[in-house]
Amino acid sequence: MVDNKTHTGRRNFLLQAGLAGVASVASAVPAAVGAAAANPAADTYHSLGPDEAAFIEALVNIMCPADKLSPSGVDCGLAIYIDRQLAGPYGKGDGRYQRGPYRHGKPQLGLQLPLTPEQFCKAGIAAVDAACVRDRGAPFAALKVAEADAVLVDIADGRVTDERLSLSSWFTDIVYPLFVEACFADPMYGGNRNAVFWKMIGYPGLPANHAIDMVRYRGKPYPGAGSPKSIGDFS
Amino acid sequence: MVVGGGLCAGLLTRQLTAQGIDVVVLERGVEHRGGAEARVPSQRDELRWAQRQGNMQNWQRETYTLRHSRHEESLPVRWMEAFLPGEGVGGAGSHWNGVAWRWSEYDPMLRTRYESRYGKKVVPADMPLQDWGTTYAELEPYHDLFEKLFGLSGKAGNIAGTIQPGGNPFEAPRRGDYPQAPLEITEAGIIFKAAAETLGLKPFPGPAANSSGDYLNPDGQRLGRCQYCGHCERFVCEAHAKGTPDRLLYPMLKTRKGFEIRTRAQVLHIDYDGGAKRATGVRYLDLNSGEEYEQPADVVVLAAFTMTNTRLLLLSGVGAAYDPAARRGVVGKNFCYQTTSGVSVFFRDRWINPFLAAGATSTVVDEFNNDNFDHAALPFRGGASIDAAVSNGRPIRGRRTPPGSPRWGTAWKQAQADWYAHSFSVAAQGSCYPHRENYLDLDPDYTDAYGLPLLRVTFDFRDNEVKMSRWVTQKVAEICKTMAPDIMGPVAGREGPFDSRQYQTTHVTGGTIMGADPASSVVSPHLQHWDAENLFVVGASVYPHNSGYNPTGPLAALALRLGDDVARYVVRPGKLA
Repeated sequence: MVDNKTHTGRRNFLLQAGLAGVASVASAVPAAVGAAAANPAADTYHSLGPDEAAFIEALVNIMCPADKLSPSGVDCGLAIYIDRQLAGPYGKGDGRYQRGPYRHGKPQLGLQLPLTPEQFCKAGIAAVDAACVRDRGAPFAALKVAEADAVLVDIADGRVTDERLSLSSWFTDIVYPLFVEACFADPMYGGNRNAVFWKMIGYPGLPANHAIDMVRYRGKPYPGAGSPKSIGDFS
Repeated sequence: MVVGGGLCAGLLTRQLTAQGIDVVVLERGVEHRGGAEARVPSQRDELRWAQRQGNMQNWQRETYTLRHSRHEESLPVRWMEAFLPGEGVGGAGSHWNGVAWRWSEYDPMLRTRYESRYGKKVVPADMPLQDWGTTYAELEPYHDLFEKLFGLSGKAGNIAGTIQPGGNPFEAPRRGDYPQAPLEITEAGIIFKAAAETLGLKPFPGPAANSSGDYLNPDGQRLGRCQYCGHCERFVCEAHAKGTPDRLLYPMLKTRKGFEIRTRAQVLHIDYDGGAKRATGVRYLDLNSGEEYEQPADVVVLAAFTMTNTRLLLLSGVGAAYDPAARRGVVGKNFCYQTTSGVSVFFRDRWINPFLAAGATSTVVDEFNNDNFDHAALPFRGGASIDAAVSNGRPIRGRRTPPGSPRWGTAWKQAQADWYAHSFSVAAQGSCYPHRENYLDLDPDYTDAYGLPLLRVTFDFRDNEVKMSRWVTQKVAEICKTMAPDIMGPVAGREGPFDSRQYQTTHVTGGTIMGADPASSVVSPHLQHWDAENLFVVGASVYPHNSGYNPTGPLAALALRLGDDVARYVVRPGKLA
């Protein structure tokens, strides 16, 4: 029952977003550039510059390709989410202890950089681009999808190095958490557009007053899982 | 004068104001009630309240420095994930899950228990375990009062020594059943219960400060029925269904004569007259006006979070700071955490629906906790409660995928879709006994936003905890295997190094420990400071060890008893006996 509803949702998304996704993959034009051209929101980035936006768009389209489960990362709003977070309090280091002296230490003591998350994210983008130009002759966003995917695997596993930044930390501590949040946070933050990821997994969202559901749907498919409600639906 | 506006402060102030004693509470944060955190739909925002820690201590202003051994250099944890002190009226008690245990009957006499059962050599020299100087029997009436005030839901396992079917057979004896029936069991709880019973264990519903029905407490305060919304820990309950001080205590206290709470009041220092051995008052910064005030007081009670209680004593030079090299001093000693581990299980055909859950919907076994089993042939002390604890299915953090799942791409998405509603974890919440080298002191380099030294944590999981966790996690695995899941996650006990980047629990304890001997404790069994009879300390900071349970129950009982003790002291000052 739930699956039927979910599949209806998926079909609708593919109909809405199919064109941009197909074009970017099939033509082997840099995935992100193709998607950016088709996305009217791309010129509204608040933090990312044009090259940085191309990078993040390519990245979210690789990490979330258009397929039967969802539209492409850009079409799910993932790049917009990341941009908004970098431009907002999180990106500026709100709530983070920022006093010196700065020293390096064990990873379990947490990040020890005199950079805000926004600055670290951007410094990492520049460093990855430099490494891609050095090793592969083109910046990240201009690589073919399979090649760019391989670059991400190498970065995540610590095989791409930079003289000044830890790129594995950049990916693990900044990029990956932002990606996951972009997928699963409330759609009002710009990602998870139309609650596509909540539908994918069957999270029903709000209002979550489940005192009766708790008994009625214990051990059974939950009917509301196919049509999740977000904060915007109640505001 | 009470420092901190959380659970302990609210409970002891309830006792004091009932006996006509004037109380001023100083709280650094603001009221949660009426804010975006306390109403729908903004309450149901995982990003804002859970990921970005909207209800927590602001690390920009004050964090902790950390190192794993005193031979290492400490660094500030610039964004803490491991444990999350609260901020605002209600403190961490407003954003807790509501798991409300009484500890083992022998916990307050743990050293005596081990030595009488296994001989004098059972406690290693580097484990400064000590009795509390009080007994469970002395605290039992206050446990009972707390449970009635907070409307606990649960099933008694031991009423006045008679074991009750369906409850915890290892429970300390209680005078009656819980005020409310247990919460509904989760699907995960049903699976866990069947497996545990197959193994001959005695599963039971965990004790919960999530209200299973409509409830009226002895003070005339009401709780509504829990909505199983999955937004409990890290969140403020908008449904008034979680037992919290900001719901049940502070609104009531505000109607009492002689009660005042000052919010945005950051306490900087306890004024101490070493000659007279008295606290004379506190200094605090009004965070709104920027004015610093000296507030004289007849009695000062530190009732802030574990870390703050310890830090204020160190900053104010009250009592001797602990020095592990010289083995002198007491303030900062016996800092403990909680030794957690867990195993994930995946069932293709079972609908776990993790979003149908309350903070404390858990099904538990207690056979492998603390000294509930024979340690004679085992190379460690302590143990863990083991439970199927599904408290939420929040989508950013509350997902599980089988080992070997890819980190992104179509197959990653498929794994999310396949397993989100079909998995849960069986968790071990283990004890953490004190180690001579785990302690708190002031950092020599780093300061807070007000220019005062940060508290430095020197902590790691030591040999005893690692061995305990390894053994207990095998018991978790046996239960998981008995469930016959399609897939089981890795089986690994907790190992060091302690990682500030991973949430484990907010159960940090010790630093201002209680005991009968001034040479090895900061406060007396009545929580009276040995070096200032009008200064009292309450909170998990007074625990000499951490048990295999959440710490809230006994500290609530201690806080209620302290209220009565301070009332006695006000009438007749002197050393409390």
